Amino acid sequence: MTAPLGRMLRHEWRGLVADRTAWLVLGLFGFLVAYAVMNGATWNRTQSRTLDSAAAQADARLAGLRQALDSLPADAPPPGPFGRDPRSPASVGGRDGAQYTVLPPGPLAATAVGQSDLLPQYFQVSMRSRQTFANAQEIENPSNLLEGRFDLAFVIGSLFPLLILALSYNLLSAEREQGTLALVASQPVSLGRHLLAKVLVRGGFITLVAIVVALVSLAAAGVSLTGPGAPARIGLWILVVVSYGALWFAAALAANVVPRSSAANAVLLATVWLAVVVVVPAVLNVVAKTTHPVPSRVELISAMRTASNDASARGAALLAKVYGDHPELAPSESVDAGEFMSRTYAVQDEVDRQIAPVLARFDEQLVRQQQLAERYRFLSPAVVTHAALTDLAGTGAPRYRAWLDQVLGFHQQWQEFFIPRAFRRQWLTPADFDAIPRFRYQAEPDSAVRGRVAVGLLGLAIPTVVLLLLAGNRIRRFEVAG
Amino acid sequence: MLEAIGLTKTYDGSVALDDLNLTVRAGEVFCLLGANGAGKTTTINLFLRFIAPTKGTARIAGLDVADHPLETKRHLAYIPEQVTLYRHLTGLENLEYFSVLGGHPDYTEEQLLGFFDQVGLSRDAAGKRVGTYSKGMRQKVGIAIARAKQATALLLDEPTSGLDPKASNEFSELLRFMSVSGVAVLMATHDLFRAKESGTRVGIMKRGRLVTTLDTGDVGHADLEKIYLQHMHD
Repeated sequence: MTAPLGRMLRHEWRGLVADRTAWLVLGLFGFLVAYAVMNGATWNRTQSRTLDSAAAQADARLAGLRQALDSLPADAPPPGPFGRDPRSPASVGGRDGAQYTVLPPGPLAATAVGQSDLLPQYFQVSMRSRQTFANAQEIENPSNLLEGRFDLAFVIGSLFPLLILALSYNLLSAEREQGTLALVASQPVSLGRHLLAKVLVRGGFITLVAIVVALVSLAAAGVSLTGPGAPARIGLWILVVVSYGALWFAAALAANVVPRSSAANAVLLATVWLAVVVVVPAVLNVVAKTTHPVPSRVELISAMRTASNDASARGAALLAKVYGDHPELAPSESVDAGEFMSRTYAVQDEVDRQIAPVLARFDEQLVRQQQLAERYRFLSPAVVTHAALTDLAGTGAPRYRAWLDQVLGFHQQWQEFFIPRAFRRQWLTPADFDAIPRFRYQAEPDSAVRGRVAVGLLGLAIPTVVLLLLAGNRIRRFEVAG
Repeated sequence: MLEAIGLTKTYDGSVALDDLNLTVRAGEVFCLLGANGAGKTTTINLFLRFIAPTKGTARIAGLDVADHPLETKRHLAYIPEQVTLYRHLTGLENLEYFSVLGGHPDYTEEQLLGFFDQVGLSRDAAGKRVGTYSKGMRQKVGIAIARAKQATALLLDEPTSGLDPKASNEFSELLRFMSVSGVAVLMATHDLFRAKESGTRVGIMKRGRLVTTLDTGDVGHADLEKIYLQHMHD
C-alpha cells in the first residue's frame, strides 16, 4: 500500500505553516482581496446612489408635470411653441419629462467594476435624436479609466495567479535543489502523488483564503449574500475561482515535471503569466480594432453636420413633405409660430435618416469587434475569467448590450408617442399622461448568465486537463539524478 | 537481495557504467571502492531508478526496478552522502513523515523516539528543527529513517564522508545490525578502513567497470590498500 494521502497532506500543511514566506504571500493576498472588495463596494454604493436618484428624478418629473397639469385652470391659454407647459408634447417629451433609463447594478456588482465606470449606466432619453444622449458621456479621471479599478475581478484575474505561482513555481525543483527529493524518491510513493499532496495543500489554502476573505468582506460591506439570485451567483463565482486557480497550479506542475532550476521555472512561469494576463488580451484588443475598425468619430460628426446643414436649408420643403406623406400629422389649426418647432422635427428626422448608415456601420463594426474578442477569448484564460466574473457581477458586456437595446427601443417608443402629438400640436391630457411610456429594465434570465459562465468554465477546464495530462505523462520520465 | 545484470549507463556516448554484473545476498555488506567518477553513484542511482539504464537490468528482491519502480522501493532503504531533510520540521516530524511514505504509518511517537535512541540522537534534539542540526545529526536521522523502514536492502552513497570518527563508527554499527538482520547492503565509499571493517566483500571500480572483487576476510588492511592503489595506477 502506498502512503495515505491524508498523512501526506498533514505533512505538507506543517511545512507550509512553518514557512514564513508562505504566510507573507497568503497574508498579502488576503489583504488585497479584502481591499478590492471594499473598493468595489464603495464604487458600487456611489453608483447606486446616482442611479437611484436618476430613477427617482425621472418619476418625480412626470409626477410633478401631472400635478401641474391637474392644477391648470380650465381657461388657461394654450401653450406657446417654446413655452414650458405640462400640456405641450414638445415641452414634456423633449425636456421636462425626459426619462432616465437606468441599468440597475446586479446582486454582486461589488465584485467586479468591469467597464461600469467607463460606460454610462443611464441615459436621458427624450424625443430628440439618439445622438443627443448616446454620445453624452461623463468622463472622469482618465488614468483611473485606463488602469481599471482595483476590484476583486482584477485581484482574482491578475494577482491570484501571480501568488499561486509564488507558492508553486518551485514545487519539485526546490526539493531537487535542496536534496530532499532524493530521500522522498527513494520511498514507495510516486512523484505524482507527492506533487498532488503539495498542490492540494497550497491550492486549497490560497483558494480558501480568496473565497472566505471575499465573502466576509462582501458581507462586511453590506452586500446581501442571500438576496434573490445571489447564492447561485456566489456558487458560480467560487467555481470560477477554483477552476482558474487549478489552471495556474496545473501550469506550475507542467513546468516542474521537467528537471529545471527553480530560477528557470520562475522566469518561464512569469513569462507565461505576462503573456496570458497582459499580452494576449492587449493583442486581442489591437487585432479587433485593426481588423474591424470603427469609422472615425470625425467622419461621424462631419456626416452629421453636413446632413444637418443640408436638412436645415431644406427645412420648409421637408416639413411640407412630411405633411404630404402624413396628412394626419398636420395641426388642426395653423399656428405660425409653431411652424418652427415642426420644421425642427422634420429636419431632425431627415438628419437621422441620413446619418443612419454611418451609425449602422459604427454599430456593426463594434459588434464585429466584440464577436472577435469573444470568439478568441479562449486564447487567454485571464480574459475568460474576467468575462465570467463581470458576467456574474452584472457588469459584463452581454448584459450591457441587452440593456442598450432596451434603451434604444424605449427611445423609439418615446419618439413615437411624442413626435406625432408635437406635430399635431395636440395638447396632453391626464389620460395621455397615464399612457406615457415608462422605461422598465427587463433583466435577462439567470439561466442565460449560467450558460455563458458554464462555457467559460469549460474554457478553463480544458487547458487544465491538457496541462495535467502532459505533466502526468512527462513525470514518468523524470530523473531524480543526472 | 540486490542484483545487477549487464547494467550499463552512458551519457552522450561517454560510459558511466559498463556492463556491471553483481549480486549482493541477504546479510552481505558489499562495499564499492573507486575514484570519483568510477561509476559507484551511478550504480546506486540505477538501483533507485533515479536514472534509467542504457542497457541491462537492476533487480531488488527479484523484481526488475524498471518495471516495478514503487514496489522495489518498499524493500529499499537509502542513505545519501548528504541526508537532506525538511529543514522547517523537527527530526521527529521528518522521521514520522518518511516512515509514512515508506509504508509504516502506524508507528507511535514512542516507537519513533526509540529509533532515535538506537542511533544515538537525544530526544531533546529530536524535537528541534532540522535547520539547526549538524551534518552528523542529520546523518543520524537518515539512519533512523533507514532502520524504521525495516527494508531488506540498504543502499548507501558515501554516507560517512565528512563525518568525525565517532559518527563514522556509528555507521559501522548500523551496517553490522543490518547484516545480522539479513539485509543486503550496498555501500559506495572512499573509506578503505570502513570497507575492511564492516564489509563482507569489496569491489573496486574503475572507469565504469568493476575490475575486481575481494572477500574482506581474505585480505588485511594493508593488502586492501595496496590492491586498491595498484588498480588505480594501471
